[in-house]
Amino acid sequence: MLITMEELPGIIMRSIMISGTATLLSTAWSLPLTIKLSLSKHPLKESLMGILNSLVGFPTVLVGLLLYLVFSSSGPLGMLRLIYTPQAIIIGEALLITPLMMSLLYEVVCRSVSVYWELAISLGASKRRATWFVMEQTLPELMIVLLMSFSRAIGELGVALLVGGNIKGFTRVITTSIALAIEAGEFDLAVFLGMVLLTMMILLATTVRLLRAWLEK
Amino acid sequence: MVREIVLKDIWFSYIKKKYVLRGVNIKLRRGLTLVVGPNASGKTTLLKVASCIYMPDQGRVLVDGVSYWDMPDEEKERVRRNIVYVHESPILIRGSVLDNIMAGLLLRGIDRRVAEKKALVLLERWHMRHLMMKRRSELSRGEQQLVCIIRALLLSPDFMFLDEPLAHLDLRNRRLIVELIRDIKRDRAVVVASNNPHPLLDDADHAILIQNGVVVGRNTHEVKDLLVEAW
Repeated sequence: MLITMEELPGIIMRSIMISGTATLLSTAWSLPLTIKLSLSKHPLKESLMGILNSLVGFPTVLVGLLLYLVFSSSGPLGMLRLIYTPQAIIIGEALLITPLMMSLLYEVVCRSVSVYWELAISLGASKRRATWFVMEQTLPELMIVLLMSFSRAIGELGVALLVGGNIKGFTRVITTSIALAIEAGEFDLAVFLGMVLLTMMILLATTVRLLRAWLEK
Repeated sequence: MVREIVLKDIWFSYIKKKYVLRGVNIKLRRGLTLVVGPNASGKTTLLKVASCIYMPDQGRVLVDGVSYWDMPDEEKERVRRNIVYVHESPILIRGSVLDNIMAGLLLRGIDRRVAEKKALVLLERWHMRHLMMKRRSELSRGEQQLVCIIRALLLSPDFMFLDEPLAHLDLRNRRLIVELIRDIKRDRAVVVASNNPHPLLDDADHAILIQNGVVVGRNTHEVKDLLVEAW
């Protein structure tokens, strides 16, 4: 068998770790950038958000190709030896989900963060207390953004395949395993892995729905 | 204690160079001040600048003669504790009415038990105790607005800025809020922005008329006469 049952937990865990790290990495630059953008008075602010919105569906294979050219041994960052490593997939997925994350965060920041910040300040809170208050009030909404971005990252194939290389026990994740199983004609395995991925997606979507319902209370 | 807020040649924009306030000069002090004007005339922005939430692009916000935006952070915080702004759309946090009423005190670091005690007294005073365990989704808009005003009132500020407090309210809640404003304006400054200030006209000590971001009338009698005429 191409992929054994013993390998499966490792593949699933690796997928979660890689996409989870990519989500956190993307948050590290998306959140401050979005806050800065939302506070900006620049007349081109809305146009920039429009461009980001249109990049949400950016083809994953194109991101993978661009990063392959950058990270390959003859590329400008070849000396970092990142090609075919989990780190390369993490960077690729983090870049891939950035437009989605920024678009979703922009909504949250404009709708909730600025409102709760204003409320806290108008009630006489110090900057430190106001920051905690805003985080407390918007945490469920921020969690929704993280879960949706994670969902996009874990379901992508192009980046993981092109810069990860699908190396057994190292960069093999669920989506690349499905691609490999199909290529080898092991459709039962491909369907099984697909069901695993689908279950994870459904669990994430359910969590998002529950959080939304809680938010509206 | 904050006695007076003066706006000197205030210019403000949300998008660079597209000014919403243009050279505003006003003085706010004790009593009820009505800020009236049509929709999108800049009333809300004026209130947010005057309540030191928004920093103007140009001009100065003088709190008892000192420029607020030039003050050190600790001084700003002290001033902020005497100024409260209540938004036009009620902003309630997750939790019960009691949690919401206490939010301001808790944000200022007051002990929960003390805050709860004070909140209960005020809820009793304004006949709202029956609402105290309700959640925000169970309240009408009028009740939400009342909760926001009570939350602000609990902080005993010297200056209260109320943005359209009478909008979208039924007659009963409107009466209650008018009664509340009459009560609080006795010993502090209350600034109310409204495009329909009729129920408060008789109580107003000062009135300002704003149009397209420019203060076009600050003579109280003239503005009041204009409004009575319009009605």
